[in-house]
Amino acid sequence: MADTRQHTVLPGFGLTVGYTTFFLSAVVLIPLAAMVIKASSMSIGQFMAVLLDPRVIASYKLTFGTSLLAALINSVFGFIIAWSLVRYDFPGRKFLDALIDMPFALPTAVSGIALTAVFAQDGWLGQQLARMGIQVVYTWLGITVALTLIGMPFVVRSVQPALAEVQRDLEDAAETLGATRFTVFWRIIFPTVLPALLTGFTMAFARGIGEYGSVIFIAGNLPMKTEITPLLIVIKLEQYDYVGAAALGCIMLGMSFFMLLSINLLQAWGRRRLFVGKR
Amino acid sequence: MPDLLPVPTSMSITLDQITKRYQNTPVVNDVSLEVSDGEFFVLLGASGSGKSTLLRAIAGLTGVDHGRISLHGRDVTQVSPRKREVGFVFQNYALFKHMSVADNIEFALRVRGVKSAERRARRQELLRLVALEGMDDRLPTQLSGGQQQRVAVARALAHKPQVLLMDEPFGALDAKIREELRRTIREVQRELKISTILVTHDQEEAFALADRIGVMNLGRLLEVGRPEELYARPATRFVATFLGAANLLLARQTAQGIRVGATPVSTMLDKPANQRAELRREHEVVAMLRPEEISLAVERESLNSIYLGAGKVETISFTGAFERLRVRMVEADKAAVSADADAENLAILDVTRTQHEQRQLPLSVGQSVAVGVRRIHVLPTPLSSYSVYAVTSTEADALKQHPLLVDLATRMKTRITTQIEPGLGQAGTARPQQPLAGVAVIAAGADAGAQLDWLLQRGAAEVLILPGQYTPATRVLIHWTGEEVRRATLAVAASVLRHVPAEATYLNILPEEESDASKPSGMRELLDARSEAQAVHGLEMRTELHYGDAAALLQRELAEHTSGMLILGVTDPVDFRQRFDWLLQQSPGWPVLLVFRSEETSAPVRKMT
Repeated sequence: MADTRQHTVLPGFGLTVGYTTFFLSAVVLIPLAAMVIKASSMSIGQFMAVLLDPRVIASYKLTFGTSLLAALINSVFGFIIAWSLVRYDFPGRKFLDALIDMPFALPTAVSGIALTAVFAQDGWLGQQLARMGIQVVYTWLGITVALTLIGMPFVVRSVQPALAEVQRDLEDAAETLGATRFTVFWRIIFPTVLPALLTGFTMAFARGIGEYGSVIFIAGNLPMKTEITPLLIVIKLEQYDYVGAAALGCIMLGMSFFMLLSINLLQAWGRRRLFVGKR
Repeated sequence: MPDLLPVPTSMSITLDQITKRYQNTPVVNDVSLEVSDGEFFVLLGASGSGKSTLLRAIAGLTGVDHGRISLHGRDVTQVSPRKREVGFVFQNYALFKHMSVADNIEFALRVRGVKSAERRARRQELLRLVALEGMDDRLPTQLSGGQQQRVAVARALAHKPQVLLMDEPFGALDAKIREELRRTIREVQRELKISTILVTHDQEEAFALADRIGVMNLGRLLEVGRPEELYARPATRFVATFLGAANLLLARQTAQGIRVGATPVSTMLDKPANQRAELRREHEVVAMLRPEEISLAVERESLNSIYLGAGKVETISFTGAFERLRVRMVEADKAAVSADADAENLAILDVTRTQHEQRQLPLSVGQSVAVGVRRIHVLPTPLSSYSVYAVTSTEADALKQHPLLVDLATRMKTRITTQIEPGLGQAGTARPQQPLAGVAVIAAGADAGAQLDWLLQRGAAEVLILPGQYTPATRVLIHWTGEEVRRATLAVAASVLRHVPAEATYLNILPEEESDASKPSGMRELLDARSEAQAVHGLEMRTELHYGDAAALLQRELAEHTSGMLILGVTDPVDFRQRFDWLLQQSPGWPVLLVFRSEETSAPVRKMT
C-alpha cells in the first residue's frame, strides 16, 4: 500500500480515493448492479425471449444504427465547426461559440418538439423536403437528425482545444519541407487532432444510444420501424414489466459498455503511440 | 526601380529593401543584406527587433510589404514557402509528434515522391551527420530536447535546401546541451557548405557561430560585420552596448584629439581622409571604453596606459575567470561624464580584470585607484547628447518631457541636459557658460526663430525643434538645401532612424523650370544619395524626385500627413529663415531636426548677418 502513496503537495490520497469509490458506487455501480440483479431473477429462457423479440432486435438496429450515423455526421461537421471557430476570427464568432452549447442546456424534449415542428410535413424544412419526396419526421432519418443535434456539442467541444493546440509551427515546418496544403492537413493536423475527435465521436455516440426525450417526438414510434430501445424500456415500465425492462437495460448496458471500451482501448493505443515514454 | 546591378551568383541570399509592417508600424524596416555562398550569418537582436520576422520572410512564412528576396539569384519574393527550397529550424523543434524520427526526416522526401531506398540512404546519412545513428524508430517524445533539435536539423536538411534558416534553435535548451548542439550545427554547416542564417538574442552564441553578424534593432539592420570587427569598432551606441559591456563616455573632439573631461586621451586618430573635416570641427563625441580595456593602479605613475582620472572602487564581484568592478570617478574628473541617460551612473565605469591582474593588485571596496585606459574607440555617431534650451525652468522641464526627446534619449542611451538661458533669443547677450554640446533642443513657436539665431551664433550645428503636440512619427522625410550639408544630414538621419521605428524617405526637389533638362542629373543625385546612405551610414531609404519650390513642397507634405519628422540639412541660415520660417512656428506639427553646415569641410555656420 505504501508504494501507491506518492508524496504530493496536496495531501489526501486516502480521502479522494475513498470519495471516488463511494460516489461511483452510490450513483453508478449500485443502481446498475440492482438492475442486473433484477434482470437475473428471470430464467435464461425468459431472458432470451425478451432479447430475441423481433421488435426488440429491430429497436437495437435502429438505436445503434442511427447513433452511429449521427456520431459520424457530427465527426465531420463538428470538426468543420470547430475548425472555423478556432482558425478564423469573424464577426459573430463569440455568439456562434456560445450557441454550440445550447443542446446541452435545452431540455431534450424541447429540442425534439422544435425539430418536429421544423421538419413536419407542413414545417419550414419539411415542406421543401417533402417536395423532393423526402420524409424526415416519423422515419429513421428524423431520429438521426435529432441525435445529430444532441451529439454535436460533444464533438465540437472535444476537438476545439485540440485544434487550438496544434502549433502553427508544425504547419509552417511542413510547408517549408514542401508539403501541399492538403498534405499538411492530412498528414499533420488530422493525426494530431484524431484522439480528440475520437473522444468526441465516442461521447456523441454514447449520448445517442441513451437519448430518449428528443427522439420520441420526431420518431413517431412505429413498432418495428421507428421504435428506439429506450422507448421500449419505458413501454415495459408502463406495463409494470420491471423485469423485462431490466433485461433490456442490461443488454443495452452490455453492448454500450463493449463498444465504448473498444473505442477507449483504440484511443489508448493511439495515445501511447503519441506520448509513450514522456517524462 | 530597374535593376542596376545584376545579382552576383556567389550570393546565396540577397535581401533588397525588405519592409514588413504590422498595423502600419514597420517591424522590419528597409533591410538589405547579402549572404554569400556557404556563409554562416547570425542575425542578432533583442526580442521584438524584427529578426524572426525577417527570417520568416526569407522562408516565405510571412509576406513582405516591400522589397525583394532572392535565393541563389532566383527572385522568390512571390514564391510560396514550399517552393523556396529552404530548410527551417524552429525554436520549439516543431517535430511531428505522431511520426517516428525516420518519418520526420523523410517527410520532405516523401512529399517529393522520392523512392524508399533512396529515402532510407539519405536519412541514414543525415542521422550520422547529427550524431543520432540508430534512433530511426524513436518517437520525438522519447528523445531529449537536444536530440529533438538534432532531428529537426536533419529534417530541415533532407531535401538538400539551398539555404538553412534557424530561428533561435537553442532557445529551449540548457547551457551544456546548447554548447554541444552549437558545435554540431557548426560542423554540419561546414561540411555541407550551406548558406545559413541563424537568429538569436545571445551574443555569445553569435560570436561562437558567425562568419558575420548583423545586429538588428527596431526593425532595422544596424550594423553588419565580422564578430571581432563589430566588437572592437562598433558604429552605433546600440551595437556597442549590445555586443558585450561598454562604457560610453561623452568626450570632446578637438583639433588636438580626443579629450575626456580635462584629460587629452588621444592625439591622433587614423580616419579616412573624408572624415578629417569632422575631426577639425570641435564637437562632442561618444567614446567607447570596453571594461577589459580599463586598467587600475594605485597611483597615476604606475599606470601603463593613458590616464583617465582618479576613482574609487564601489563594488567588486567575482565571476569565475574575471573580476567585475564598478569604479566611481571622483569629483575632479566628473567632467568625464558617462553618456548614460541614467543620472545615477554618470561617473561610474564598469571594469573587468583577469585573474592575473587581480593577483598583481588586489583591490577592496572603497579603495582609491588611478584609472587608465588602453584603448578608446570613438563612435562615428553624430548625435552625442541633447541639451534643452529654454528661458525658464518650467519651459525647460516641459521640453525635457517631450515624448520624442525622451524616446530618442532612452533608445540612444544618452542624456538630456538642461540649459536655462534667460537671454535666449535676445541679441547681444553674453556667451553661455558652457560650450554647446550635442543637439540643441528648443520648442516650436513664435520665439523659435530668434532662439535658433541665438544658438547658431554660439556654434550650434544640430538643432531639434519640437512642436507642442506630437504623434509618434511613422515617416521621416530627409531633405537638404545644398550638397555641402549632404554628408552631415545623412549621418544625422541614419543615427535618428536607428532609434525610431519609422520609414525614411529622401526628397530631392529640383526647380520647376529645369524639369526636363535636369531629369537625368536629378535621378543620379537620388541614386547617389541612396547609395551613400547605404554604404557609409548603413541607412536604407526611399527616394522621391519632385519639381517645384522646396519650401512649398515640404509645407504641403507636412500638411498632408499628421505623423512624421523632418530632417533638414541647411547650408544658408539666412535663406532658411526667409523661406522656412513657418517650420519653426507650426503647432501641432512635425518635429524638425536641422543640420547646419556651411561648407563640407568646415565647422558649422557661425557667421550671421
